[in-house]
Amino acid sequence: MPEPTDFLAATEAYTEAWHGIPAPNAPARILAAELHDVIRAFEAQRGRLQFEDEPASFEAALQDCKDGL
Amino acid sequence: MNQLTLTEAATAIARRETTATALLESCLAAIDAHEHQVNATIWIDREGALQAAEAADHATATGQPLGPLHGVPLAHKDMYYQAGRVSTCGSAIRAGWTAPRTATVLDRLHAAGSVTFAGLNMAEFAQNPTGHNRHHGDCHNPWNLPYITGGSSSGSGAAVAARFTYAALGSDTGGSIRLPASACGVTGLKPTQTRVSRAGVMPLSFSMDNVGPLARTAQDCARLMSVIAGPDPQDPTAARNPVPDYEAALTGTLAGQRIGLVTNPALVGTSPEITAAIEAATRVLTARGATVAPIALPLMDAVSAYVAVVSRAEAAAIHARWMRDRPHDYAIHLSGRIYPGYAIPASYYIEALSARGPILRAFCTEVFATVDILALPTIPTPLPTLAETDIDANAGPRGEFGGDPAVLPRFMAVSANTRPFNYLGLPAISLPCGFDANACPIGLQLVARPFGEPRLLQAADAYQRDTDWHARLPPLDQRYRPRAP
Repeated sequence: MPEPTDFLAATEAYTEAWHGIPAPNAPARILAAELHDVIRAFEAQRGRLQFEDEPASFEAALQDCKDGL
Repeated sequence: MNQLTLTEAATAIARRETTATALLESCLAAIDAHEHQVNATIWIDREGALQAAEAADHATATGQPLGPLHGVPLAHKDMYYQAGRVSTCGSAIRAGWTAPRTATVLDRLHAAGSVTFAGLNMAEFAQNPTGHNRHHGDCHNPWNLPYITGGSSSGSGAAVAARFTYAALGSDTGGSIRLPASACGVTGLKPTQTRVSRAGVMPLSFSMDNVGPLARTAQDCARLMSVIAGPDPQDPTAARNPVPDYEAALTGTLAGQRIGLVTNPALVGTSPEITAAIEAATRVLTARGATVAPIALPLMDAVSAYVAVVSRAEAAAIHARWMRDRPHDYAIHLSGRIYPGYAIPASYYIEALSARGPILRAFCTEVFATVDILALPTIPTPLPTLAETDIDANAGPRGEFGGDPAVLPRFMAVSANTRPFNYLGLPAISLPCGFDANACPIGLQLVARPFGEPRLLQAADAYQRDTDWHARLPPLDQRYRPRAP
């Protein structure tokens, strides 16, 4: 993973290129830099769950797990 | 008159012990006396509401059939659309936007006889956990005015606490019903994902938005849920499950109910008074027949990783046009929070959604095999002040951030205990269970299986039969004056 300063610069460039949206202020840059942590947390889950290829599995899970009171 | 609960008010009208007009006037008098302190409303339709109340009184007097909310004045978060009326969504961007349709939940509340008389203050586009609002002014906690109300349904929590209204709708994507319920000392229910229609309601995150009530008691919430829940042709995502009689679940007994007191270090209270209040609350539930045992929640790392991806990506997509064309019409804290969502890859977003079903199944299998209800603080930290969490005030004229570096993490920490249950889609209720060292309310959060709202309402009602936290009045004779917007 790139260093945080490189990561932020890359994130800003990506967001501008794909969405036409520059960082509006400093808190935006702080939180964009913290995506580094989001990626780390996300990658820590790799291999722990199998990818679901069924549609609406969440809605089905809500029904299957419902309370019987 | 405005000390009555919602169900007491409805009963009093049905028995002709009072009138809808008298109840409305009582609410308006409370607003006139204290709105300058609390700043809980965005608009008030006095004339239209008075006409509706008089029509309700005529129906009562002429013996017409009365709905379960007949004549009860209600005010709601200003993001529930009413055809032909401006719905600001707490923003400047929608300051002049007129809604083309009426929200299904408002249609249902009106069909049940309620009178909508005001739109309530809220976080801009329902996107902060504190109640700050640059455009309409910050909402202030009726219990201690310099402190946050919780958000995003800030006006809903504050208005119910201040007796401006008998109840209010809020919305909850990461805690926005439960946080203001906790901070303002009222009762707030986030239903199971899909339980209540979202048609005609401003979206924030299609996967995790929920509509639900804030009121003084669990019984009031039960009455409102019976009216608003259920399938809706206008919202295909609304579940088709039959709507139970929520009030019938309020038996007062908790015999056989197994309460799990959550022990994860990241989810327990961080101050002695919060820990003591939660433990004392579980003792009350035990006295009503429940058993209590500690439980460590599994999968919280995964939930935490995925919830941040889903809500950010969806909010970014919904706001892309305005973030491109009108970024400076947002508060700094809001555009700052929306912006990182544009950098999240679509594959991450889809993976996070894909994991939601399996994680919910695994969580329910492990947790609800041993307990029926989870108990934990709604807000794990003592309530911060508005100043301590004011990101915009710590930013310079060009958005540079030069102020207190603790502001941002303090702001983000408020919703730490509520967000996980949005990803899991579980129903959760917050009810008042004490006060912190600054005389601000503490909330007990209870969580159950999907569609376990009757169980939660039963537990909350049983608790409220033996305690009076929910019946206490905020001291609105304080001298503190809020800042101007």
